[in-house]
Amino acid sequence: MRKHLLALGASLALSPCLLAQKIGVINSMSGPEAPIGENITNGIKLAEEDLKKKGINLQLVWEDDTGKPQISMSAMEKLATRDNVVGVVGPYTSACSNAVAKLAEKYKVSLLIPAAAKEEITRQGLKHVFRMNAPADKYASSLIDAALSLGKPKTIAFVYENTDFGTSTSKTAKDYVATKGIQVVSDVSYPKGSADYRSTLAQIKSKNPDLVFMVSYVADAILLMRQSKEVGLQPQAFLGAGAGFTTTEFAKERAISESVISCTQWTDDVSWPGAKDFGTRYKAKFGKEPTYHAACAYASMVIMAETARNAGGDRAKTRDALKAGQWNGVMGEVKFADYEGFTNQNNHQMLVQQIISGNYETILPTKFATKKAVYPFPKWK
Amino acid sequence: MAVFMQSLISGILIGGVYALIGIGLTLIFGVMRVINFAHGDILMVGMYLTYIIFTMLGIDPFVSVLITFPLMFLFGGFLQKVFINRVLNALAQNQILLTIGLGLIMSNTVMLIFTSDYKILTTSYSSSTIQVGGGVSVSTPLLISFLITSAITAALYWFLLKTDTGQAIRATAQDRDAAQLMGINVKRMSIIAFGLGAALAGTAGALISPTYYIFPQVGGVFTLKAFVITVLGGMGSVVGATLGGILIGVTESMSAVYVSSGWKDVIVFVLFLLVLLFKPSGLMGKSRT
Repeated sequence: MRKHLLALGASLALSPCLLAQKIGVINSMSGPEAPIGENITNGIKLAEEDLKKKGINLQLVWEDDTGKPQISMSAMEKLATRDNVVGVVGPYTSACSNAVAKLAEKYKVSLLIPAAAKEEITRQGLKHVFRMNAPADKYASSLIDAALSLGKPKTIAFVYENTDFGTSTSKTAKDYVATKGIQVVSDVSYPKGSADYRSTLAQIKSKNPDLVFMVSYVADAILLMRQSKEVGLQPQAFLGAGAGFTTTEFAKERAISESVISCTQWTDDVSWPGAKDFGTRYKAKFGKEPTYHAACAYASMVIMAETARNAGGDRAKTRDALKAGQWNGVMGEVKFADYEGFTNQNNHQMLVQQIISGNYETILPTKFATKKAVYPFPKWK
Repeated sequence: MAVFMQSLISGILIGGVYALIGIGLTLIFGVMRVINFAHGDILMVGMYLTYIIFTMLGIDPFVSVLITFPLMFLFGGFLQKVFINRVLNALAQNQILLTIGLGLIMSNTVMLIFTSDYKILTTSYSSSTIQVGGGVSVSTPLLISFLITSAITAALYWFLLKTDTGQAIRATAQDRDAAQLMGINVKRMSIIAFGLGAALAGTAGALISPTYYIFPQVGGVFTLKAFVITVLGGMGSVVGATLGGILIGVTESMSAVYVSSGWKDVIVFVLFLLVLLFKPSGLMGKSRT
């Protein structure tokens, strides 16, 4: 009997479907990016639970990069060589992802980046680097297309933080507006975390632009809008690209956030399979609204884990399966394709949204729209 | 011209708050010769204190300074008595390690309690302005905080120059041993000085909170700024820190407009290096040989 049990135990341990899949996670769990990193962590935790229900056990190896590329790189080295993971999900910021991407290629470990925006990351022909979210050029083009479909803007001012994310998003935006005949009247980058943007904004106000395009992480977005109101900057539309303009904290500041147009990778009212359900369960479990980062991280982990399981934990097979596969879930249809110079890039559909009565409402593309857009930007009260 | 005036005014106003942070650090250094790397984190604690008082008790951030100041004074005094006093005669690197450690404990404790979410204090006047004329507007909360800063700085000068305790603190700063020989209780002066430094940092936190945002790691930004201000003004000089704060505020604001806001930190640090190159003891510092 005992022998039988032992044999059973051994066969259980060896059978590939019960074997835990060892997957690495690199994320900004502390440091200035921690508020967004938390969303990614939670998304992955929810994915871990759901996968367990499907019979896929995960052994996650968590690494905190504190938002610094050098720490991210050492985390990747450790995951690839010491922990011997099948694949890695993460890191969060563009700077970290870009640094880690080359290491993933070196160690031949599949890296699935959930939410970093810098285009170059998937433009280097790296075979082992995959990206879930739409890159920075999509932020820029979908926002500017939205403004063009709503009015006839002639001039634009750029304000962006001088990080990888900020400069690359605004650079593509500048290239894009050039093709649309919109003139750039002001182009300002700022170091994030400054307390005072008033002088910069006053300077922009003196140029009187039709559009103001801002790229910021979380809290700077609120400061920028507050101080825009202070100095009386009054364009036809405020376009907010990225993280800072798509948080619930931002929407709650109704005095300054109302009618700001932003774009996002995901909302819970979009008709992608499981999106609504993900939103409800996330709220129930973590007590707050998920951001798009959470959904990106969730989908990334599900795809990575299922692929790794099907490949029997083999690194090379996992890579090939990620490349060949096609999925449909909370992030809509996912396929890692090669196009327009990108390699292994999911050509994700961005959603343009506007804050109306304190809520994010999708205004474009029309098939996902929940409210009609407000344009031009109402006069400051 | 409007742009110039606008950036000059907001530079001076924000510089006032920087000065308050710098004065706290310089006071602590002057008396104890301890470089307080937890200064930004103390400021962060002050911010959260203001946040709690505002959300739980509904007391306006500027009024709550009256509560924050004494509470932070006690907190600073406690830190001094329990931790810093033990390393006063230790190697400088050990003191630095201790203050960095204290700072880490503070920011991580706060992160455990409040999570890493950004908190924004929204008051009725958070984004209101006063029009000065000529297209120049002054942020109301920034103006109020500048006035409070000026009042506190004036009160501090009076305290240091006119009162017995203030003079004892200055004596301790000038020569700890001699002060002790003259019958000054230097341990007590150290506690008062650290308490004051912490209270000033906490107050600065309270004053910034209506216009800035609050998160556990916010301290780092201000620790660095406080160092630049203190060294620029001359280590240990309260007048120097006041000047340094305003100078940094105006430089940041001006260079954001006339060079590029992405370069403003570079300009601040170049200015800092130039001062150190030509006047190594800082603007108001006396070189110690």
